[in-house]
Amino acid sequence: MTDTHIPAQQPETSGNKLGTIWSAFRRDPAANIVIILVLVQAACIIGGLLYPDDFRYLSGLNMKTLLRAIPQIGFIAVGVAILMIAGEFDLSVGATFTLAGLTMAAFYAAGVPVVFCVMAALAIGVAIGLVNGFLTLTFAIPSFIVTLGTMMILRGVILYASGTATMPFRPEPWFDSLLTGQIGFLQAQFLWFLGFVIAAWLLLSWHRIGNHVLSVGGNRGAANAIGVNVFKTKMFAFGAAGFMAAMSGIVSTTRVNSVSPIQGQGLELQAIAACVIGGIALTGGRGSALGVFAGATLIYTVQNVLLLIGAPGYYLDAFIGLVLVAAVIANGVMNRRG
Amino acid sequence: MPLDTNTAPLLNLRGIGKTYGRTEALSDVDLHVNQNEVLGLLGDNGAGKSTLIKILSGVVDRTTGDIEADGTPTDIRNRQDSAKLGIETIYQDIALVGPMSIWRNMYLARELCNRFGFLRRREMRDTTVDILRKGVEITGVDDPEAEVGGLSGGQMQAVAIARAVHFRSKILLLDEPTSALSVRETENVLKYMVDLREEGVSSVFVTHNLYHAFQVCDRFVVMAHGRKIADVTKADTTIEELTKLIVAH
Repeated sequence: MTDTHIPAQQPETSGNKLGTIWSAFRRDPAANIVIILVLVQAACIIGGLLYPDDFRYLSGLNMKTLLRAIPQIGFIAVGVAILMIAGEFDLSVGATFTLAGLTMAAFYAAGVPVVFCVMAALAIGVAIGLVNGFLTLTFAIPSFIVTLGTMMILRGVILYASGTATMPFRPEPWFDSLLTGQIGFLQAQFLWFLGFVIAAWLLLSWHRIGNHVLSVGGNRGAANAIGVNVFKTKMFAFGAAGFMAAMSGIVSTTRVNSVSPIQGQGLELQAIAACVIGGIALTGGRGSALGVFAGATLIYTVQNVLLLIGAPGYYLDAFIGLVLVAAVIANGVMNRRG
Repeated sequence: MPLDTNTAPLLNLRGIGKTYGRTEALSDVDLHVNQNEVLGLLGDNGAGKSTLIKILSGVVDRTTGDIEADGTPTDIRNRQDSAKLGIETIYQDIALVGPMSIWRNMYLARELCNRFGFLRRREMRDTTVDILRKGVEITGVDDPEAEVGGLSGGQMQAVAIARAVHFRSKILLLDEPTSALSVRETENVLKYMVDLREEGVSSVFVTHNLYHAFQVCDRFVVMAHGRKIADVTKADTTIEELTKLIVAH
């Protein structure tokens, strides 16, 4: 074993500022997938310009559909990503999503002011996350198993509480526009999504807590030996996953003005798929907010393209699966090439 | 031999015991670490060396015993306590986080932050560059953004040691630090321990390799079955005698 020399990064000067940004980007675990996303978007835009009648990618209606769909999975994926980077999973986020929506709608129907309904829904989300975390960490059980259990329990609770009926939720107009209103050609929920992505980026790349999240997922034993509080850090990540799942449930319930008990099924796996496509390691310790954004956007872009070219709806999941496997292989190949 | 026996030992442990359920890992162990000293902690597998190191570093909580630092009673119950006393540990299974960069590892759990908890990244990166340049003969690494997982075993151990030294530790605990290293890297780590002693950092060196121990240590503590069976200075013993002590028990 000889000492391999790793070249120093050039000191930043105004001349190679772009180069510095580029090398920082290349270090991001999501770099490859962002490049793929840009290529896919470019292809879609060119296709939309060349064949505006047959491929309506750029039409106002399609853009609206796309930008509305991305945040639903995107919110959940932001939380799941933080948790996966901390080295844990949460399969109960889909059920948390539904239960949060249900809680908000039920409280609202009972005459509680909408702000408190939202706070109750978020509190439920965080509480579920913290219970998942507590069980996982106290009894040293894999979080995959714990949250599989809580997912099934919560599904039962949802059916019991809702009686399988869809519950309406028609809040005041100001609340509607705050969460799902139209702002220019963007929708409020997309801006909220961007806000959470930026918050996650600040957390993971620039904050002490994010540094600890990366460390407990990267090497739990080492992080503990060095002095990171593993329990607190992982509890934070579980709480974040629950919070973001509830957030997604709140926004979706507001958008469709109702919540149904079967809503949210399958979202847990889609969120994990979005994270993995975005370069977040299943083994923990590696991943970025940029990746969550790219992963969630890519999944829905591909779904959207399939719908536009008239592929039958049943096959959408199959194509997500295909994108997932292809993205993981592409990521692996590109990483090996360095 | 830079042994200073006039002042109180840096660290003085008395009657340390540790039980796991009904298993007694350590019983009634006295151990002291002097200033400017490399102490060799020797013994066969299961002798209790690692448990003792873990108690000192605050990762394992002792069952019985008292601890004094510089002559005043103190306590080590967790990693924060040991950090306050200036104790840093270098582990056999290198305690670094592989997917993180060198500077993030260097400052993990001791991040320089503003008052909102945001990292002062530039400052930490620049300091890391300085630290790496100082120890560059051993590391051959000078990019603070390099991922630790991509370094060789010796480079990783060097980063771990550089971290310990940078945070002004008084006592370095090295638990089999060379077991995963090449011959050349091992020589570098041993030399590092001697250099650090000159700079006023004491070390406790756990090893199976008596030749390594004899090369750098000023004093030896031999353990067997959770007890201390010998405490001798280098001048009063030989490799043969130490070997006999370890094998006999």
